[in-house]
Amino acid sequence: MLEVKNLTVCYDTAMLLNEVSLKVNRGELVGLVGPNGAGKTTLMRAISGLVLWERQMKRGTRAGNITLTGEVYFQGQRIDGLPPHRIARMGLVLCPERRRPFSELSVEENLKAGAYRVRGRRAYRDTLELVYQMFPVLQKRARQVSATLSGGEQQMLALGRALMTRPVLLCIDEPSTGLSPLIKGELFAKIGEINRSGITMLLVEQDVRQTLAMAGRSYILSHSKIVAQGKKDELMADETIRQSYLGL
Amino acid sequence: MIRVWLLRLYRDFKGDILALPGRTLACLAVLALFIAPLFIRDTYILRIITLTAVYAVFAASWDLLSGYVGQLNLGHALFFGVAAYTSAMLNLHLGLPPVLTIPLGALAAVMAGLVVGIPCLRLKGQYLSLATLAFPIILKGLVYLFKEYTGGELGISGISRLAGSRLVECYIALALGAVLCFLIWKITDSNLGLIFHAIREDEITARASGINTTAYKLLAFCLSGLFAGIAGGFFAHYMRLAGPFTLDVLLSFQAIIWTIFGGITTIYGSVAGVIILFPLMEILRAFPEIRMLLFAAVIVIVLRFMPEGVVPWFLDRVEKECPRCKERNAFTRTRCRVCRVSLSEREVRARTTTRA
Repeated sequence: MLEVKNLTVCYDTAMLLNEVSLKVNRGELVGLVGPNGAGKTTLMRAISGLVLWERQMKRGTRAGNITLTGEVYFQGQRIDGLPPHRIARMGLVLCPERRRPFSELSVEENLKAGAYRVRGRRAYRDTLELVYQMFPVLQKRARQVSATLSGGEQQMLALGRALMTRPVLLCIDEPSTGLSPLIKGELFAKIGEINRSGITMLLVEQDVRQTLAMAGRSYILSHSKIVAQGKKDELMADETIRQSYLGL
Repeated sequence: MIRVWLLRLYRDFKGDILALPGRTLACLAVLALFIAPLFIRDTYILRIITLTAVYAVFAASWDLLSGYVGQLNLGHALFFGVAAYTSAMLNLHLGLPPVLTIPLGALAAVMAGLVVGIPCLRLKGQYLSLATLAFPIILKGLVYLFKEYTGGELGISGISRLAGSRLVECYIALALGAVLCFLIWKITDSNLGLIFHAIREDEITARASGINTTAYKLLAFCLSGLFAGIAGGFFAHYMRLAGPFTLDVLLSFQAIIWTIFGGITTIYGSVAGVIILFPLMEILRAFPEIRMLLFAAVIVIVLRFMPEGVVPWFLDRVEKECPRCKERNAFTRTRCRVCRVSLSEREVRARTTTRA
């Protein structure tokens, strides 16, 4: 469904991604783990078109000196070079890092804002119903301004908003940052549930143990390169990888 | 003793100024400005040079407040006008010489900074800007209202000249402009400038680090008022007139245009903006009907290709940052002048790749 071939991203003279290739098949939940600064978020941003958008916004300045080479295919169509809104409309949706709620809007308005891809009142209501079923907390807080939600609720909102677009492939960037273990467990259960409902997923996480347990396959990204990939058992079998990258 | 001192001066000059094309060029430009009046007898051109120096201080003081501390001030002419009127009145009614009236005018501008600052610092962002925009308009209304003291639309005229000749006045302006702009630049380069940066970037974090942001914002208003006030007082004595023009919205916006054109949050950018744009406006007087149109077109086109302003764009072309120690280097160098690391793009790339 998603195929990344030799993706290289440089910001000025710093290379953030170096010939990264990965593949996500229909229905899979693929994990992407790695240490801080490995390039996980950059990979997400490159896939969803935000890197090119940044380049366009900052053109003419030094921060706009961004090069991106390689190919990204989504459902057989080449998407590197497309603007991010087009990519999102195709169904490749990014649930961004640090949740980024529209903080002055209420929960329901946030969800409505996410429903841009859903056309028609009926379809909208059905999708909203679906999201509320998945996250009953959001329905309880529907009229509340989203900045006043707790961290966990905000993450639910971010996921809910991403689901409102009716994604084909959902990329989630670090959903568990700053959450208590209890809420974390709840969140991962929801993510698994969403995946089982038929939405393909690419999950970026710091919590290696949880991610490997949930994901069918995982990639390990380190120093801007993919250093290993495979199922949990395969990765765990390799002593060097287990100790130096997974810390398990 | 003197030899050691000279040697050190020479070394600093070579290491800090000649090593960077941007600084070398800035020094050359200032030098040229100082030499040019000797050969120019045309009072019109002398006047342009003098006003350029005065406006450079004015624009730099706006950059200090709005660029560094991030308090977008849309009524910067207030400081200029208050100082101009104060100097003019003190000179006309009390007969004080310019040496006294200009500092006193600047002091009045500092007071104006307090008057604007204290109520306005409860406001943030757009609301602050709108409030600052209102003050010079109010004062202009008062100027029209109390015609017998302020001269109304004609302003206060007949105040004493700065010096005997236009040439001397020009040199005073240039020296004052150079010193004040350098001072403002040094302020932004000091720990105080660091605090200003921090307040703009994130006021909450600045507070959490123990910085009394309200006090520093007030200080910024006063400092900015001081420098703009000196420029204003000087302007009044040079033109021998303090008119309502000095409180005009147009003048406030001129400071913003100059600064953004040259490069905001740099100080030297705002000075360069004035040096480029103010004479340009005079040259464009050759085409009076389309003067403003040409001016606007130049700005739009330049900012389209140099979104950070002219000076940062130019510096990016002639200087490059060392990837290791972040020291700036002339574009001609292949190795960093501080840490000797190679600066060639190819090698930098290769190094990042092997590291990965």
